[in-house]
Amino acid sequence: MDPILTTNILNVVYEVSTLAVVVLGLAVVFGLLGVMNLAHGEFVMIGAYCAFFVQAQNLPFLAAVPLALLVCAVLGLVVERLLVRPLYARPFDTLLATWGLSMLLREAVEAVYGRGFRSVATPLTGSVDVFGADYPSYRLLLTVVSIALVAGLVWWFVRSATGRRIRAVVNNPELAGSVGIPVTGLARNTFVFGCCLAALAGVMLAPLLPVNPTLGLDFILKSFFVLVVGGLGSLVGLISGSGVIGGVESVVSAFLDRTYGYTTVLIIAILFLWLRPNGLFPRT
Amino acid sequence: MTDRTMKERKTREWLDSRATSRRRFVAGALGTGAAVAAPAVLTGARAAGEFKMATFLALSGPASLFGPTQTACAKLAIDQINAGGGIGGRKVTVIPADGGATPAEAAKAAIRLMLRDKVDLVLGSHNSAVREAIVAALKGRVPYVYTPLYEGGECNPNVYVTADTPQQQVQPSISWLAKTLGAKSYYLIGNDYVWPHKTNEQAKKYIAAAGGKVVGEEYLPLGAPNKFEDAVTRIKAKKPDLVVITLVGGDNVNFNRTFAGFGLDKSIKRVSYLLEELTLFGIGAENSAGLYSAMSYFVNEKSEPNAKFKAGFAKAFAPKPPPLSMLGADVYSGVYCAKALVEKAGGTKDAGKLMAAADNLQYRTATGSGVMTNRHVVKDMYLAECKGTSFDIVQTFKAVAHGQTCS
Amino acid sequence: MTGDSGGPLFSFSGVTGGYGATTVVRSVGGAVAAGEACCVLGRNGVGKTTLMRLLTGHLPLQSGSVSFDGQPLDGLAPDRRHNLGLVYCPQERPVFDNLSVRENLSLMSSAEVEGRYAPYFAAFPILEARMAQSAGTLSGGERKILSFVRGAAEPGRLLLLDEPSEGVQQENVERMAGFLHEAKAGGRGLLIVEQNLAFALEIADRVIVMDHGEVVLAGAAADMTEATLAAHMHV
Repeated sequence: MDPILTTNILNVVYEVSTLAVVVLGLAVVFGLLGVMNLAHGEFVMIGAYCAFFVQAQNLPFLAAVPLALLVCAVLGLVVERLLVRPLYARPFDTLLATWGLSMLLREAVEAVYGRGFRSVATPLTGSVDVFGADYPSYRLLLTVVSIALVAGLVWWFVRSATGRRIRAVVNNPELAGSVGIPVTGLARNTFVFGCCLAALAGVMLAPLLPVNPTLGLDFILKSFFVLVVGGLGSLVGLISGSGVIGGVESVVSAFLDRTYGYTTVLIIAILFLWLRPNGLFPRT
Repeated sequence: MTDRTMKERKTREWLDSRATSRRRFVAGALGTGAAVAAPAVLTGARAAGEFKMATFLALSGPASLFGPTQTACAKLAIDQINAGGGIGGRKVTVIPADGGATPAEAAKAAIRLMLRDKVDLVLGSHNSAVREAIVAALKGRVPYVYTPLYEGGECNPNVYVTADTPQQQVQPSISWLAKTLGAKSYYLIGNDYVWPHKTNEQAKKYIAAAGGKVVGEEYLPLGAPNKFEDAVTRIKAKKPDLVVITLVGGDNVNFNRTFAGFGLDKSIKRVSYLLEELTLFGIGAENSAGLYSAMSYFVNEKSEPNAKFKAGFAKAFAPKPPPLSMLGADVYSGVYCAKALVEKAGGTKDAGKLMAAADNLQYRTATGSGVMTNRHVVKDMYLAECKGTSFDIVQTFKAVAHGQTCS
Repeated sequence: MTGDSGGPLFSFSGVTGGYGATTVVRSVGGAVAAGEACCVLGRNGVGKTTLMRLLTGHLPLQSGSVSFDGQPLDGLAPDRRHNLGLVYCPQERPVFDNLSVRENLSLMSSAEVEGRYAPYFAAFPILEARMAQSAGTLSGGERKILSFVRGAAEPGRLLLLDEPSEGVQQENVERMAGFLHEAKAGGRGLLIVEQNLAFALEIADRVIVMDHGEVVLAGAAADMTEATLAAHMHV
């Protein structure tokens, strides 16, 4: 196969799978709590700074994973209790509150690290020969880890007792309480889980990004489009949304250029909002 | 009369009426006897007493990364000038404004600074949209010094540009790289706005002159969350000898990281036209092999004046000076340009005299001196190769023409 | 038979509440002893379902009190009430539509479904046949049966059923009645909202008749004639 075509295909898979990981946390939280966490990107950003911090301390890169999970879990707990829980069932207020939170987190990180770009060294350098195409090892690893993470989560969601209960709460919160599911606790855990997923995505992507306080803003809009296309509240929707948005953008970008990529994605998002506002896989 | 000028006039009238009423109040407070003479005396005394300089620096917005170094460099130059007796014997005071604001907000601020604060001079480091708005607001009534590298073409009266122009950045560097690296094929990538397009216009001219050819040219939206896997794959397919980069800020960081991540740094050289110390720091040491930058200032420049400038900077902002870079050194030189200009013209009142004085004006810069012609600056340019996260100057081009005719 | 503390298993008094600022139920009181069934009757829209939601913690009380086993339930979330022993089968959306029949039945317990529900599957073989199907594909009556079975098989000592017979075939309603008699005999308390008068009178020991959110008639089922009750239910 033509190595350039192979590279392009790997680029598309890379973009779709990493996008799915970023949106995963957002979608799980929205599905269960009906809360659109506009500070989701900032949790990604904090994850990236954890990777930077760990490298600056000369610790192994993987040490960033527990650190980022811990920082974002604690932060997620506090945010859920003080900001999200009092505003359940008030979607617009939650949007405003989490948007405010995103600004606060950006400013806080800026106060510590400044506005400048931070460089996180790639933990895995070199490239791997994939059907004749040289592909960067770290990107390849990231693609594999992302696919495994999404697949593992889908499996867990479908097969585990907790996954069943989460699906039950999404479908019928009132009945869920009546059969003894601790809805409030489950909601809290889910929010924290979503924050941790964002943090994990941040650590993974840090070596490939210009790490700076506004990093999270780059993710939130595209995540939004994924949810618009995929529909809110199902993992199938999330994956198909990531596939459509990430896939279309990178395919069009590969064969035309980025401007056409963005335009196509915007047109798709507008068409969906207009003609199919509940997305491909609407919430039942 | 257009809506806009109507609006501006109304704003001015409103500001004037406020200023007048404040003067009346002051006069009243001084007593009836002095009431008639007081306003003139007060404004006269103030004008002679201090030199008011408005500075539009990047206090907010995407460029605010450079805000601290710009502000510090302006302060350093002004403190030095004041220690030496000020501008034309007048102590310099600064009125800061936000160069990161929208053009409309910047224009409003400029009008306020001119009419209410009665500034003697405006100095700015910001994008061209804001510059055009400020030029339109000032209408040549106050001298205006513009310092950051830009696309060229600013020829409005009473505007003085100390910035690097594409001719200065591109001509010597492309010619040198073509010859030294033997580069035959070129790929141009930049953000989609006026500066990259104008810069690439020059680049294409000198690439052709050097017998090279352009094998690809693309522009990405400015301010979008760009990713570069596709562009890097295209570059990989085209196998150029040199990539000419006019991406800015985070895009410049992201592109160069992706480029090296795909291993292209081993076989393809790069030259970036807006690459200074802060951006290079984000690109990182392991991604900067074979990357060049061409500008009129690098912190590593080894001249005597630069050593003195850096020592002064370090001392003034000890123990934690902000990171120094081109966009700050520019402002430092711009303040000295303003001083030389005003002193040579004997004041700031007469735009004609100022513009005449600008011709062949010599002034102090961070690395030596510059000479102004056509209200742009003939200056030394440097070509630096990245070594890790610092710049190694490989070639100095003396007294490079700015290529602005302003006829 | 009585609760552990000597009083009735479940009692409520002065229960007042509704949606937001709107009051639907006003000062309703009642009690269910262990081994006893209390039926709440009334026309559509008189506040029976609202009363059930107030008692199970899905709506906040504006005033009044609810206690189980002598303990006040004030402010307890539905899942906490469930864990104390209140088992609720709602009228609307009685099952998880997106889960399979098996998942609906095994949601809160890892124990094997077939064994635990064997007597119920014997009575309602349709459920066992549809085990792998998603509950959303069942008919309205089948969903009610699924909901009923889920609730009846739970160990909680109080069963709150909101119109369990709605849309269910007569023969299956009779089977439900059979299970409810067994539950009473086993010492469980029942609070049932019903429109099906015959079914209600078959199980009820006590009756509460509601109209416009208030209790208009209450007493032992034996003292009520079907005609009196029917008069309240059809205007």
